[in-house]
Amino acid sequence: MDLFIQQLINGVSIGAIYSLLAVGYALVYSVYNFTNWAFDGFMAFGAFMGFTAIASMSMPFWAAATVSMILTIVLSVGVEKLAYQPLRVRKAPRLFMMISAMGVNLAIVNTINKLYTGTLRRFPIPDSWTQTITIGQASIGQMDIVAAIIAFILLAILWIFLYKTKWGLGVRASSIDILTSSLMGINNNAVAFIIFATTGVLSSVAGVFFGIKYAVYPLMGGPVTIKAMIASIVGGLGSLPAAVVGSMILGVLETMVSGYISSSYRDLFAFAFLIVILLFFPNGLMGKETGEKL
Amino acid sequence: MKRASLRNASWTLAAAALVSVTGLLVGCKKEVKELKIGYITEQTGAESYIAASSTPALEDRIAEINAAGGINGYKLKLVAYDTRSEVPDAVSVTKRMIDQDKCVAIIGPSWSAAGIPIAQIANTSKVPIVATTASNVNVTISEAGQLHPYMFRVCFIDPYQGYALADFAYKKMNAKKAAFLTDVSSPYTVGVHKFFESHFKELGGEILVNEGYNQGDTEFRAQLSKIKNAKPDLLVSAAYTYKDAGLIAQQMDALGLKVPFMGADGWYVDDLLTMAGPKLEGAVCTNGASTEAPEVQQFNKDFEAKHKVKPTIYTYYGLDALMLIEHGIKQATTKNPKIEAAALPTAIRDEIENATDVQLFSSKMTMEKDTHNPHNKPILIMQIKGSKWNLLETFDPAKQ
Repeated sequence: MDLFIQQLINGVSIGAIYSLLAVGYALVYSVYNFTNWAFDGFMAFGAFMGFTAIASMSMPFWAAATVSMILTIVLSVGVEKLAYQPLRVRKAPRLFMMISAMGVNLAIVNTINKLYTGTLRRFPIPDSWTQTITIGQASIGQMDIVAAIIAFILLAILWIFLYKTKWGLGVRASSIDILTSSLMGINNNAVAFIIFATTGVLSSVAGVFFGIKYAVYPLMGGPVTIKAMIASIVGGLGSLPAAVVGSMILGVLETMVSGYISSSYRDLFAFAFLIVILLFFPNGLMGKETGEKL
Repeated sequence: MKRASLRNASWTLAAAALVSVTGLLVGCKKEVKELKIGYITEQTGAESYIAASSTPALEDRIAEINAAGGINGYKLKLVAYDTRSEVPDAVSVTKRMIDQDKCVAIIGPSWSAAGIPIAQIANTSKVPIVATTASNVNVTISEAGQLHPYMFRVCFIDPYQGYALADFAYKKMNAKKAAFLTDVSSPYTVGVHKFFESHFKELGGEILVNEGYNQGDTEFRAQLSKIKNAKPDLLVSAAYTYKDAGLIAQQMDALGLKVPFMGADGWYVDDLLTMAGPKLEGAVCTNGASTEAPEVQQFNKDFEAKHKVKPTIYTYYGLDALMLIEHGIKQATTKNPKIEAAALPTAIRDEIENATDVQLFSSKMTMEKDTHNPHNKPILIMQIKGSKWNLLETFDPAKQ
């Protein structure tokens, strides 16, 4: 039983990181119908900016996290303006947007690699923050709890924003039909700004907490963003609560497979799970009808 | 008058051109021949620290040799290509070095999964390749037990490490029940663990659990929770990348898993200490060369001052491989000064195979003719104390 609780805690703490990224995927997908593969780079960028602010400029953690968030918003919105918007304006096929995103990702990750080298770095937080709390036989890191709480607070704010404000209504209207909503007077550029700024915030927070939980290195985003992508598809692309549910299921499933079957089969199960879900629920567990998925 | 001077001028020009062309031709004849040496390395990706700390050292060494007139009139040139730590890339850069660049010998690769297919390329193209840290047995000897005639290495092999670690764990650390956390995608980790297990069991120890993970993983808590439940006296994870060792140590701490932790020479990168030094207090690993050894301190200082990078063991192993190839070139061209370019790689191979007590960067080396491994290369057993490497003992296979 103790082992089960420990594995459940492990699973939820992984699921929290997945959910930040999965929500980002879902948000972009719901409005623009393409998968923003540049997340991996945004996340590494966010982590490196936070790292640099603390290590080189000796900022306190919360200031560094804010700096990282602002810079990642700038990057995310900049990428949208330079790489995605021109394609959208010219009505390029959505596949091209996805390929463009992959290119952006490679450019970001390789630039970071060139500037910082591939070395792993510990995210510089005080040692006292990394202590663990023991409940019975199960242990959990303080920062894991903080990360999970912040992830959920952030997602709650996002939910309130989308469902309780006028701007959120605009984003939701765009997600139903971007062309019609712009005819109704919704400012498309403002919607794009909101979406990519939110993406920047989510990936910066995910990057900083991933950096604290594991380490900061240029390729840090690779495996985890793919998992988040799976989580958002499993939940149902385009739906925010579904992305969170998908992330939790995937995080817990992975740890249970590693803990009770074999860790070598973990990814096999994760991907097989995706296939099975899509066979029975072609739009994901809670997804709306979206047609083609890229 | 004007026309005459023009004509004169054109004659002068023509003469000057003729002189310079002849000069060029003569120059060609006198030009020193250049031999290219390939270096299969990791310039980008998670292991880019390998190239960053080794390529400048190889270039320095080659510049020194060339400044002193080369080897028997041959100048050397380093051709380094990136593998991104991917086996297909490692294979294609090796082919490029051989087919396009006509390298006479190649240094690398640094890991066994690439070393095994590359050994086949060495055999078919008949160009000697000296692996730096690829320590799986099958890099130089095929699964069927056949020696790869053109493949060599300058590091010790996994059985040595596995044996030495098991011996040390059982006898000195008093560990009787061990747990493994194995990178199942790495022949290196699997190899070290296999030989650890066989010697550990021979001594009377037992392996309680063998958990696995895959290259690139960052999350080990599920496996570590299971290991914690099994209550071992020792956790062994001969991770190939120091990243894994650092992350495992951090997560052991987070789970409150307090058992001695042991790895092999893949850990030995100084960045591991900055990344997870305090979490690795007391952990034990092996190594073939030490950046802490007094005899390399001057080199380390000069290297760091010049290149702004700390040397790693890859610096030393890279230099060892280069110096072994130098020895091959020197012997081959001394014995046969008029050797044809096409015959050179094979002649170099023969000399490397027969290398006896050749002074390399880290030690003197004798090549084992039947295995192409260095003979009796000692293993250093290191412990991390106060975020520093500490030499515990030297395990000498000759004395076992």
